[in-house]
Amino acid sequence: MKNNPVARKTSGVSKVLRIALYTVLLAMAFFYLMPLVIMLITSLKDSEEVRNGTLLSLPAYLHFDSWTKAWSGACTGSTCTGISPYFLNSFKIVIPAVAISTLLGAINGYVISLWKFRGSDLFFAALLLGCFIPFQVVLLPMAQTLGWLGIASSTTGLVFVHVVYGVAFTTLFFRNFYQSIPGELVKAARLDGAGFFTIFYRIILPVSTPIIVVTVIWQFTQIWNDFLFGVAFSGFDSQPVTVALNNLVNTSFGGKEYNVDMAAAIIAALPTIVVYVLAGKYFVRGLTAGAVKG
Amino acid sequence: MNTNTANSGSKKTQSGRSARFSLADWMPKIVLAPTMIIAIVCIYGYMIWSAVLSFTNSRMLPSYKFVGWDQYERLFNNDRWMVALTNLGIFGSLFILICLFLGIMLAIFLDQKIRAEGALRTIYLYPMAISFIVTGTAWKWLLNPTNGIQKLMIDMGFENFKFDWLTNPDMVVYCLVIAAVWQASGFVMALFLAGLRGVDGDLIKAAHLDGASTFTTYRRIILPSLKPVFFSALVILSHIAIKSFDLVQALTNGGPGYASDLPANFMYTYTFTRSQIGMGSASAMVMLGCILAILVPYLYSELRGEKNEK
Amino acid sequence: MANLTIDNVKKSYGKTEILKGINISIEAGEFLILVGPSGCGKSTLMNSIAGLEDVTEGRILIDDKDVTYTSPKDRDIAMVFQSYALYPNMTVEQNISFGLEMRKVPKADRDVEIQRVAELLQISHLLDRKPAQLSGGQRQRVAMGRALARRPQLYLFDEPLSNLDAKLRVEMRTEIKKLHKKLGTTIVYVTHDQIEAMTLADRIAVMKDGEVQQLGTPQEIYDNPANLFVAGFMGSPAMNFIPAKVVDQNGTPMLELAANTTTAIPFPRPESLKSRIGETVLLGLRPEMITEPQPHKEGQEFVMTTGVEVEVTEPMGADTMIITRINDAEINCRSNPSYLAEPGSVIDMMFDTSKAVIFEPKTGHRLDI
Repeated sequence: MKNNPVARKTSGVSKVLRIALYTVLLAMAFFYLMPLVIMLITSLKDSEEVRNGTLLSLPAYLHFDSWTKAWSGACTGSTCTGISPYFLNSFKIVIPAVAISTLLGAINGYVISLWKFRGSDLFFAALLLGCFIPFQVVLLPMAQTLGWLGIASSTTGLVFVHVVYGVAFTTLFFRNFYQSIPGELVKAARLDGAGFFTIFYRIILPVSTPIIVVTVIWQFTQIWNDFLFGVAFSGFDSQPVTVALNNLVNTSFGGKEYNVDMAAAIIAALPTIVVYVLAGKYFVRGLTAGAVKG
Repeated sequence: MNTNTANSGSKKTQSGRSARFSLADWMPKIVLAPTMIIAIVCIYGYMIWSAVLSFTNSRMLPSYKFVGWDQYERLFNNDRWMVALTNLGIFGSLFILICLFLGIMLAIFLDQKIRAEGALRTIYLYPMAISFIVTGTAWKWLLNPTNGIQKLMIDMGFENFKFDWLTNPDMVVYCLVIAAVWQASGFVMALFLAGLRGVDGDLIKAAHLDGASTFTTYRRIILPSLKPVFFSALVILSHIAIKSFDLVQALTNGGPGYASDLPANFMYTYTFTRSQIGMGSASAMVMLGCILAILVPYLYSELRGEKNEK
Repeated sequence: MANLTIDNVKKSYGKTEILKGINISIEAGEFLILVGPSGCGKSTLMNSIAGLEDVTEGRILIDDKDVTYTSPKDRDIAMVFQSYALYPNMTVEQNISFGLEMRKVPKADRDVEIQRVAELLQISHLLDRKPAQLSGGQRQRVAMGRALARRPQLYLFDEPLSNLDAKLRVEMRTEIKKLHKKLGTTIVYVTHDQIEAMTLADRIAVMKDGEVQQLGTPQEIYDNPANLFVAGFMGSPAMNFIPAKVVDQNGTPMLELAANTTTAIPFPRPESLKSRIGETVLLGLRPEMITEPQPHKEGQEFVMTTGVEVEVTEPMGADTMIITRINDAEINCRSNPSYLAEPGSVIDMMFDTSKAVIFEPKTGHRLDI
C-alpha cells in the first residue's frame, strides 16, 4: 500500500475528515475493548462493590479473591472445585486433538495436491462440505457411536470428535498451501529415488512451517472455544472449560457472584487471547485462508 | 561412463509386461483412507442417519418406526420452533448487515494510512479469538438492567434511562445481535482489509489519473473488485448465524421463556433434554437445508472458478 | 550411456488421446529434441519416458530393457525441469547429493561427485546457498548439476531454458551443447523454441496433436519438411507460403506468380506436379531464398528476378526483412541492409526456387516428393 494515493491531500477539509476518521476508529476501539476492560474491573472488585458500584467504577482495592475462587473454589452445578480441573480437561482435549488433526490434514493435503488420483478432487469437494455442515445433524449419531466405542463422556471421546470434524479444515488449509508447490518438485524427487513418505518428510514438511503454525493456532482456538461438542459429549469429569464456565455462570446455587463469573470468564479466554496476542498474524491468516482465495 | 554404484538399484527390477502393483503406488490412497472413512461415516453417514431419525417417532431413544413427515409437521406447528425460526431471521439478517457495514467501514478507514493501524486492527479482531461462551458471559453482565449499562447511565444522571432488552421478550434477540456483532465484525474487517490490500495499485493510479475522487474510486473501482470477498463474508456470516448456539446458551439461555431461542438451541433442547429425538432431528435437517441452500451455489462457483483459472 | 526406444506408445485420458502411437529410437549418446506447439503431447511423452505417467499402450525400452512398467526411481533417468524444481529447503550441495543419498551412495563418494559436478558447471562457490538466494541462471546450473551427479543412463530436459531471459538463454544453450559434446550423454530435450531445436539437436522430432510429424536431422527438417506444419513451425521468420497456380509451359509445369507483373517460375522436381496443371498449390519458399539481385546467382537454373512492391521493411541489423505481397499472400524477403527499399516503391527481388517445396493447400501434404 506504499503507493496508495488515496490519502495524500492535506487541505483544510481533509484535515477535518481526518479528525472524524480517527474519532470513529477510536470510538470503535472503545466498543471492542470495553467488555474486556469491564470484565477485568469487575473481577477485581469485591461483592459489595459489584452490587453498589457501576460498571465503570474502579475498585477501591485490588481484590484477587474472586480469581482464587474462580480457579479453585467456585461451584459449577453441585461441585465446588472452581474451574481449574476443567481448564486442565480442555488442555487434555486440545493438545492431542490439535496434534492429530494437524498431522492428518498435512498428509491429506499432500496427497490431494501432489499425488492426485482419480477421484481425489471429488473427495476433497466432499470433505469441504464437511467444513460447513451444522453439527446438529451429527450430534445424535455421534453420541451413539461414542457409546458403542466406549469413549462416551470422556476426554478421549472429545478428542475423537474434534479430530473427526477438524480434519476437514486442516486438510483445506494444507491443500491450499501445497497447491502452490510445483508438482515438478515431487517429480524431481521421485526420479531422485525418494518414495512417498521420504518426499513428504524431507522436502514438503520442511517448507510447511507457516501453514503448520496457522493450522495449529486455528485448531487450538476452535477446539478450546468449542461448546457444542463439550456440552453434548462430555461427562461430569471430562467437561471442557467452556462448559464449566457456562455452568458456573448459570448456576442458581446461592447468590450471584459476578466478580467470580468475570474472573472465570477471563481465565477461560486467556489461552486463546495469549495465542492471539503472540501470533495474531497467523491467526488472521487462518481466518482468511478459507475465505479469500490465494 | 563407468558404472556407478548409484545405478545398481535398476538392475534388480525385472522387465516384463507385469502391471505395476506395488505398495508405493497405493500409498496415497492408503494414507487418505482414514479421512475418507471419517468423511463417509461421520459426515455423510450421520447426515443420512439423522435424516432417517427425522422420519421416525423416536423420542427418548432412537426408534425406527417410520411416521413419514409427521415430525416436520409437528415441528412447524410448534410455537417454540416458529419463535426460533423468526429469531433466526431477525438475528441473522441484522447480524450480517451490521457486521458487513461495520467491517467494510473499518477496513476502508484503516486503509487510509492510519497511525497505529496495527494496534487498532488487533483490538478490532481480538473478540474473534474468544469463545462465544465468554462473550455471552461478558455481555450478560453488561446488559443486565440491575447492574449493567442501565445502572451506569442512571448513576451518571440519566434518571429515566431504560435499557432492559435482556429481560424484555420482544427485545432480547437484539441483545444477541449486539454481542454477535461485537465478536464477528472485526473478522469482516480483516477479510476486507486483506482484499483492499490485494487490489492492484495500478488500478487505483489509473482511476486517479482519470480524475476520480477517493470516494468515487472506492465506490466504482475498489469495492466492486472485492465482490468475491463480499460473498465469502456473506456465506461465513450466515453460517455463523445458523450455527449460533453457544452465544444464546451463555447470554440468555433462550430466555426469557423461550423468547431468544435459535434453531440450534431448539434442536439441542428437544433432542437431549426433552427426549424428542424425532423432532430434534427434523429441526437439524431444516438447519442443514438452510446451510446447503447458501453453501452449494457458493462452493459450486468457487470450484468452477478455480477450474477456469487453470 | 544407453539407447532409448519408444515403441508405438499411446496415451489417453478417458476418450482424449494425447499420444497416438509414437515411434522413436535414439542411439546411445544422441541428442534428440522433441519440439512442437503447446498441447502437442511432448511433455506427456517426456513424463512417460520418465515413468511419471503410465502409458496406455506400447513399450519403452532403455538400454534394450523394457521399462514400461518400471517405477521412475528404477529407470535411472535424470530430469531437468522448466521450473528447475530445486528443493527449496536444501542447500545447493544437498540438492545435488539428494539423489545419491536416496540411492545409498556413501558420503565420501557423494562428496567427490558433488565436487566434480560443481567444477564442471562452475557452481562451487554456490554450494552452501539455498535456491532462493540464487539467480535464474544459477538455479538452472544447479538443476543440471543435480541431474549430472547421478550419472544416469538417460537425461531428460523439459524446456530447461524457457524461464531465462534471452541473453542467458543463448549462453546456456551453448553451454548445454558443450556439455553434451564433452560427456557424450543421451539426451531427450523438450522445447517449443525451434531455434533451440535447430542449434542443439542431433535429431529433431517435430510433434503435433500427439503424433510425430517428422523425425530427422535439423538440416533435413529445415530443407525438406514433411508437411506444411513442419515447414511453418521450423525457421524464423517462418517459411513463406505462396498460393500459386500450376501452369503448363511447353510441357513443363511451372508456377504462376503475380506480383508487380505476372510471371511463371520453374521449380525442381516439376514432374511431380504434372497431374495438377490448372490447380492451385502452396509454394513454400524460405525468406532467405528471396533476396536482392545477386550477380553471382544470375542465370542459374531456378533463379529469376522480378519486381515487387515494398509494403514495410524491418531492419534486423545483419539483414533487412522486406515485406511484400505476392498472389495476395504476405511475403517475407531477406535482403542485405544496403539494398534500398522504400515502402511503396517497386524494387527487383531475386527468387531462388532451387530449395522450394510444394504443398497441397487443403491437407498440407508435400506434393513434390
